[in-house]
Amino acid sequence: MNLINKNKTGNFLKKIINSNKEFSRAEKRGERICLTKMLLIINMSRIVFCVNSLLQFERKQKQFLSMLKNQTRHTLQCMVFYIFIVLILLILPGVLSLGITPGRTTLNYEAGLEKEIEFSVLNNEHKNMQVMLMVQGELNSSIILYNSLVEFMPSEESKQFKYKFKVPDGIEKIPGLHTADIVALEIPKAGAGGSYVGATVAVVSQLYFNVPYPGKYVDADLNVLDAESNGTATFIIPLINRGKVGIGEVRAVIDIYTSLNEKIDSVQTDYYALEPGARTELTGKWNVKVLSGSYLAKVTVFYDGESRNFEKQFAVGTQALSIESILVNNFQLGEIAKLQILVENKWNQELKSVFANLLVYNNEDQIMADLKSAAESIPALSKKELIAYWDTVGVQEGEYNGKLMVKYGEKSSDKNLILKVSENNLDIVGVGYAIRPQGSAKGTSLTTILLILVILMLIVNLAWFVFFKRMMGKKK
Amino acid sequence: MNKHIIMITAQAIFLVLVIALLYSFYPRTDASVNGNWVKFNSINANVIIISENPDFSNPRYIDSSERKNISYNLKPGTYYWKSDNGIIEGMKHEIVIESEVGLGINKTENETDLVNIGNVKINVTKNDKGVMVGHIILEPDEAEKIEDKGNYTGRQAE
Repeated sequence: MNLINKNKTGNFLKKIINSNKEFSRAEKRGERICLTKMLLIINMSRIVFCVNSLLQFERKQKQFLSMLKNQTRHTLQCMVFYIFIVLILLILPGVLSLGITPGRTTLNYEAGLEKEIEFSVLNNEHKNMQVMLMVQGELNSSIILYNSLVEFMPSEESKQFKYKFKVPDGIEKIPGLHTADIVALEIPKAGAGGSYVGATVAVVSQLYFNVPYPGKYVDADLNVLDAESNGTATFIIPLINRGKVGIGEVRAVIDIYTSLNEKIDSVQTDYYALEPGARTELTGKWNVKVLSGSYLAKVTVFYDGESRNFEKQFAVGTQALSIESILVNNFQLGEIAKLQILVENKWNQELKSVFANLLVYNNEDQIMADLKSAAESIPALSKKELIAYWDTVGVQEGEYNGKLMVKYGEKSSDKNLILKVSENNLDIVGVGYAIRPQGSAKGTSLTTILLILVILMLIVNLAWFVFFKRMMGKKK
Repeated sequence: MNKHIIMITAQAIFLVLVIALLYSFYPRTDASVNGNWVKFNSINANVIIISENPDFSNPRYIDSSERKNISYNLKPGTYYWKSDNGIIEGMKHEIVIESEVGLGINKTENETDLVNIGNVKINVTKNDKGVMVGHIILEPDEAEKIEDKGNYTGRQAE
């Protein structure tokens, strides 16, 4: 563009110079007729030249302004970045954090067992830190820790370590649970005075070592699900056979008492066999015909003529909030979507500071959106809509996993979701554990199929063998 | 002798056929664990059965008849799963969601907060000069105001 303009300007200049020369020549020759025409050409050329120059000036001015704008934006971006860095540097000294995984390793007794167990220390904040590793607890003398002081660089998110556990002599005579703690302690950086004053953190990876009891021994607990008035509650009793001998049949009876110790109902569970060291869960259903409140479950576990009793308190009507529906109207991908989450307070008291938190995960199961509604108070036994906004700029069409949590006080009602995002639509569907879907018959297990196959082959071969035996007999 | 060969060939063909049928009808499902998420990628399974017990007592069912890729958020622990398509019930598999014990201290000008940044409920003990002086139970993401002194040790509760 600039080249074309240069050429045009050059041509005009040439024209002006040529016309000036021609004018002088004509003057000399006295050619008065062409004079007016010549003057006209000169003036026209001058006007065009001026207009062209003006246009060029305007263009240059625009370029300059845009450059200035870009530079200002760049300077602002740099400033924001530096402010962010300074803020991070200011905040960092106030953050101490440390993680360890797994939180617990469980081993069962085996004579002469020697095992190397791995664990990882997590540098959640991606910072320079020193961590001290040590062993504590009853089994500390049976553990060899290969590292004691480790250094983390900001680039290291986690580091893996090992320890060796050897079964201590004579422990088989002490049945029950034996433990050890692998402690990771962050060594705080000393201040200007050379010492650190303030709270410090340590995290523990536990080692649980179970020595079996002689005979039959059952470890049991009780979990109560869906205990709502006029509903069906599920009692789940997880059991572990901590004995050396297998159990032919284990079942339980749950007696339910009021806070005044009046028996109101009794529930029988299903029954299972239980191998030594194995785990199972007994289930019992209870039709809840009582009011919300606190109740006591007295559990008796029966196993092969022996029994074990324990008690646990539980509450009816603990699920104070339920997520009723999620509505999204006028959705447009790339814009801010309004999510209307309808929740019901089933409790007979007002719930304060209730808010919804929706986490949307990408295909790598990383959080791509963390949406929170404003906190609201929901009156007793009523419904309320919580509003959350999702900025869908940069979100691609597709299906995303999500988790909706409605939090109130220290409790939370959670729901797993699938968000189906299209250009003009956002469908939110719940994924839940359910009863076996209707219409889907239970398949035959592979073991059964193989067993049938073996029996079939045996019959065929046997028939074949009998047939040839008879043939041989006839020939003889 | 010929009859022997025919019988052996017939049995071999029968075996190959059965194996081919088993292979085509077997519910094929893969599971991969990423943090607290388990991603099930099923080809021809209708249901995925998950249980915390190897004998599948008290199982939970995930319908995979319409959606073949399902991610599910599970609490830390050991789980057993198998897939089913109404014809064959698949073999038992085990998945472990590792627990993560994490503790953080957030300090501001006036307050100090202790935060559970792991994925399990933790029991935090406070030690001052080597003596245990208290304990706090924290659910994941829960925070508690603390004094800015002493050592806080977090271990998995339950």
